[in-house]
Amino acid sequence: MSQTREELSLELKKHIVEYLNLLDIKPEEINDDTPLFGPDLGLDSIDSVELIVLLDREYGVKINNPTEGRTILVDVNTIVDYILANKK
Amino acid sequence: MYITDLRSISPQKTYTNEFLKGELVHHDGIIFNVTEPDYMELIPRGLLRRMGKAVRMGVGTGLPLIQNNKNIDGILMGTANGGLENCIDFLNQIVEYDEGMLTPTNFVQSTPNAIAGQLALMDQNRGYNTTYTNGGHAFENTLLDALLLFEEGNAKKLLIGGIEEISNYNYNIDFLADHYKEVAVGNFDLIDSLTKGSVCGEGSNMFIVESEASQYYAKIEDVEQLTFPKEEDIELCVKSILERNNIQHNEIDTLMLGMNGDIDHNVWYEHVSEQLFPDTNVLTFKHLVGEYRTCTSFAVWLSAHILNGERSFMSSIEKRKIENKPIQHILIYNHFDEVNHSFILLKK
Repeated sequence: MSQTREELSLELKKHIVEYLNLLDIKPEEINDDTPLFGPDLGLDSIDSVELIVLLDREYGVKINNPTEGRTILVDVNTIVDYILANKK
Repeated sequence: MYITDLRSISPQKTYTNEFLKGELVHHDGIIFNVTEPDYMELIPRGLLRRMGKAVRMGVGTGLPLIQNNKNIDGILMGTANGGLENCIDFLNQIVEYDEGMLTPTNFVQSTPNAIAGQLALMDQNRGYNTTYTNGGHAFENTLLDALLLFEEGNAKKLLIGGIEEISNYNYNIDFLADHYKEVAVGNFDLIDSLTKGSVCGEGSNMFIVESEASQYYAKIEDVEQLTFPKEEDIELCVKSILERNNIQHNEIDTLMLGMNGDIDHNVWYEHVSEQLFPDTNVLTFKHLVGEYRTCTSFAVWLSAHILNGERSFMSSIEKRKIENKPIQHILIYNHFDEVNHSFILLKK
């Protein structure tokens, strides 16, 4: 049975919390449209590389073009869109 | 050089000074983990979440010292293994992902100089920045480098320290090398234990040292290192360190020995305390913090407080007490695994 968008979104949030070791943040506390690099989560450029590694390892999805990354790594919604469009 | 400020994170409550008031932490196992403070008020959340234990402890001890002491000319650290947990994670990833995509955090934190580097970044300190990683002499080399920098007039104030973390990897490897006991003893029975092996410790001990000071905890006079020495080399080394510093043999009133509960290691300490200095006070420290390669940094931290007159904990570290021998000079003698031997001389 294929994964729904909601299930994929929650799974992605769990991976984000684990990979980035976000202290005191639970996956369900991250809204789908919360900017990842805004004041709420406070991610930085090293985290963007961690997210690229996460997508490659967990979903087999690569981001090869750095310019492309700016439009993909905006929030959970945009990443889920990219995974659904590119997952093999 | 003069110790003008100091901090410690150790298996005792040294960060919050309860230890200095005489409150001791009892450890019954083979592994003595540090009592870590709440770093949240000190380290920004975004940095803290990326730090491994060694870096976290190092920044936790070094940052308050940097904040309280301006115009530091350099940062010198000693750590035999650095952030080994992150290092092994990174190496495992190289194998697991077939040299593919690797996470940057594990790499950044895996290098031993991440601690000194992180402290320099947080302080915007562009001065001398060096990390020594040579096993049981890593901290001694930071002392030697600091002494040389002061002697040559290249610095006036430095942050120096020794840091080591316990990781599963180094514990397992050292356990297989018979470094640790097979059956645990309580830490206050450790020094008189009659079995092989010691207990595994960790910690971060840091100091602000200055070339000149009117108010200070203690003065570090000298440091000497020996590798694979013979018994006579130890005697020559003691003679040399006393002569070089114009100190008479009977002026050494106190020895701080690195006795670690390993019956095979005691012969060296007994030689120094029974043959070379039979009439001195003898103190020990590894039953408080365990054995690790840069634990002489804790011995220096402890000695500095003793020479500063803080002695509520003395009954827990005295192995031999000589009446009418006030503590003015402390000679620390330590060896790691009978390979790296060192002497550190401190004065009131």
